[in-house]
Amino acid sequence: MHFSMKTLATTLAILGCSIVAASARNQTIANAVDGFVRPAYRNLATETERLVPTLDKLCKSGDASALEAARAAFTNAALAWSEVEIIRLGPVTEQNRLDRILHWPDRKGIGLKQVQAALAQKDLTAIDAERLAQKSVAMQGFGALEFLLFGTGSDDVAAWRETFRCHYAQAVADNISSMSSDISKEWDAPEGFAKTWENPSPQNNLYRSDTEALTDLIEIFVQGIELVRDVRTNGFLGEKPEGDKAKQAIYWRSNGTALSLGANIEGLNKLFEASRMADLATGDNAYLGNSIGFEFGNAQNALAAVKGKPIDAVLRDPDQRQKLDYFRTVTSSLSELFGTRLSGALDLTAGFSSLDGD
Amino acid sequence: MVSKLIDRRAFLKAAGVGFLASLTPRGIAMAAEADAVFATAFQRRDGSYGAAILTERGKLVHSIALPERGHDVAYDPISRRSVVFARQPGTFAVVFDPGGKAEPLTINSVEGRHFYGHGAFSPDGKLLYATENDFDNAAGMVGVYDASDGFRRIGEFPTYGVGPHELVLLGDGHSLAICNGGIETHPDFGRAKLNLATMKPSFVFIDRETGELLEKHELPSALHKLSIRHMDIDHRGTIWFGCQHEGPASERPLLIGKAERGKAFGLVDMPAEILGGFRNYIGSVAANRDAGTIAVSSPQGNAYAVLDATSGAVLSATTLTEVCGLAPDDAGFLASTGTGEIVAPDSTSVTEPDYVWDNHLLRIRL
Repeated sequence: MHFSMKTLATTLAILGCSIVAASARNQTIANAVDGFVRPAYRNLATETERLVPTLDKLCKSGDASALEAARAAFTNAALAWSEVEIIRLGPVTEQNRLDRILHWPDRKGIGLKQVQAALAQKDLTAIDAERLAQKSVAMQGFGALEFLLFGTGSDDVAAWRETFRCHYAQAVADNISSMSSDISKEWDAPEGFAKTWENPSPQNNLYRSDTEALTDLIEIFVQGIELVRDVRTNGFLGEKPEGDKAKQAIYWRSNGTALSLGANIEGLNKLFEASRMADLATGDNAYLGNSIGFEFGNAQNALAAVKGKPIDAVLRDPDQRQKLDYFRTVTSSLSELFGTRLSGALDLTAGFSSLDGD
Repeated sequence: MVSKLIDRRAFLKAAGVGFLASLTPRGIAMAAEADAVFATAFQRRDGSYGAAILTERGKLVHSIALPERGHDVAYDPISRRSVVFARQPGTFAVVFDPGGKAEPLTINSVEGRHFYGHGAFSPDGKLLYATENDFDNAAGMVGVYDASDGFRRIGEFPTYGVGPHELVLLGDGHSLAICNGGIETHPDFGRAKLNLATMKPSFVFIDRETGELLEKHELPSALHKLSIRHMDIDHRGTIWFGCQHEGPASERPLLIGKAERGKAFGLVDMPAEILGGFRNYIGSVAANRDAGTIAVSSPQGNAYAVLDATSGAVLSATTLTEVCGLAPDDAGFLASTGTGEIVAPDSTSVTEPDYVWDNHLLRIRL
């Protein structure tokens, strides 16, 4: 063997050492958890819990006003999810919850076919929330529920009163509500993931240093903006109008596309403000907080004119489509502000190899 | 310097009779004396991309510009040409002369396919194999290119899995080993991972001439989110592979495995403190066949480790910010980082101020 004892001793000496000495509690992470993550999941738990009785009512009465109420509750719950779905660490990563709450995109329409097959066959295992939780991820979340409430056949007056369709929708709502409540409780637990993230130390299995804890925080922004731009926006908005694919837009059936994009951005904005991450960028970089806030505002302004509208109509109207195009430009700017400038200012390894490896 | 010469002689021996026979005595002498160089993709501080040739001391010898981000480089010692592949979901590969004397040639992926960033030449240098995505069908493919005819695409065969990543040619000259990472992506949705709940990575051996599946290995179903991605071949022909875990961070699966045709396939035990430092992510795997060692890097964990390829024991673990690229050098490894460092086996470090280095580093001999 060609390794000298000296090399071995040197390298063994650094094993287990953190990159940056960890303080007891990382205040930025604690701010993020207390100021955004916990309240956002509590809000999701509340909105999804509110959805359940609206479906109970719909299944009993089957009337148009009950359908309208259930649809409104769906939109509120889906937007609560849009705001918090940018969090892709901790309890939501357990038990496939991220995919089970929203499996999207359903590129080959497999989920849609599974939902349609369950409807056609009146699959009894789909109307029991516990059994539904064991089925395909595409059958048990917001995507399935949107089709049930807004998709083909949903406007039929006979679709809802004590029907299989309605009972299936109830099971989906129960399932989403139960997962949301569990995630919220796990974030609130005193010995849970929050404690691990907030308290980096060489003995901490997940976060050995403040640097690692903060890197995961900045990753939420970098990956969240990538999700909004590359997946949610570029997924349906072509480089040119002929490349548009309206039916690849998230929540197109419920006219929720721009609302959801707006909620994604709002979640990122709230997290940024709550964490007070901007305060960490000082000196020549002190401008970053304002620049980021300005771009978050621009993103919302761009969406304001198209929120709640059918996405195919938005895409056909050159003025409105241009708003989405501008929104995309703003997300690129945000990507640069977080991924390059803020991460550089904070001396985090948010680069190139670590953050976006292959 | 003595050890370098020994390494090069050993390399020539390992390269085989065919390679020696193709060189004149003067060529052998030149090959033995020539400095090894290293190829890697990079990003410049202004955001532009390219591929570079570096000396053992990390000095930039030559570079080419790329339209978008590159990934790994393959090299053909016969024609002395390199190919840098676009990072997924890129649609180009660029053939270039590491000596900088010939114009680069761009290969565009065909409609319905994109590159995954890795590839390899046939031993005679006539064919180039690249991992590709048949994205509408979510099927891994190997694109076959005729290097003697302007890198015309002459065919393809399946990888028998989803999301293929690194591909290497075995010492028998006929079998390809391919890591099917298991992750479905589609260019309509950037790099979004579309099938995490159901992903099923695999490791396959394929006959490069017939495209026939020779062997297919999978990890136990509980590890279906462990994406098998990179590999290298040790001094005895055993393949060492590295994985990236797509499941929750609360899980800490083993990340390194071994595969041999017709023999064992499985993960390798590793001390918890080393494994934990990788943060569920191995970015590259490189063998030093002269030293009998394997190096694995984790840019997520800012660390790389060197293992004894015979015993599997960890010989060293080193903290290095954003380390990913690894290539054998002397008795150790040259390491490159996403912050722009090139670190030699003796721990001396150099930077090219305008450059940060991409995930892979390839040792080549001009």
